[in-house]
Amino acid sequence: MNKTKAESWICFPLGLLCFLIPSVVAVFIAYDRGISPAPVLMFTGIVVWGGLFWLFPFIEKKVRKGQKKVSFDERDQLIHKKAVMVAYVALWLYFVAACVITWCIVGPHGSISVNVMPLTLIGGLVIFTSVQGLASLIQYGWGGKDGGK
Amino acid sequence: MAGNELSNKIRRLRFENGEMTQQQLADRAGVTRQTIIAIEAGKCAPSLPLAFRIAQTFKVPIEAVFQYQDEEA
Repeated sequence: MNKTKAESWICFPLGLLCFLIPSVVAVFIAYDRGISPAPVLMFTGIVVWGGLFWLFPFIEKKVRKGQKKVSFDERDQLIHKKAVMVAYVALWLYFVAACVITWCIVGPHGSISVNVMPLTLIGGLVIFTSVQGLASLIQYGWGGKDGGK
Repeated sequence: MAGNELSNKIRRLRFENGEMTQQQLADRAGVTRQTIIAIEAGKCAPSLPLAFRIAQTFKVPIEAVFQYQDEEA
């Protein structure tokens, strides 16, 4: 399994975990302190997502320091580019749907909670990360040890 | 491979060159073993520079490694 596929296997469930973990924390804190869970969910979600995805390449680079084996070639670059493109399409569709559905529910003269925006942002991060990981895995063909079918 | 237009003889050339492994070919061509596997299986077409590097590894012309079949012809 090469580096890109390993990252995809991490991205796909991790994107979902970045929603589940903050949700559990937010519900716990909201239940314990009696405050709105939305800003807690946003904060912990961004911290968990940012920490994992910004720290992971740095840590991975330190671990792989000195390794001369090629781990990212032109095929991986093409797959990564297509996966990012698909993830951006999904992200835009998600934001358009979020805006349209909200407008349909509350109407043109209605109002929504200020917490909807950070929740939408977290949802966008989860969507982007999960779709990118899933698209990469599909392109690799859910390959086994050799990564090919 | 690319609409069944491009075929290759990489596997045969590997065995004719001292039973070269896919990893050895990947190291010499500067790609991952998974890419060599995908090219051999016809799952992806290599870029021109990669095709030339593979041909130079086997010390044969590029046409001896990759063959293009025009469907219309």
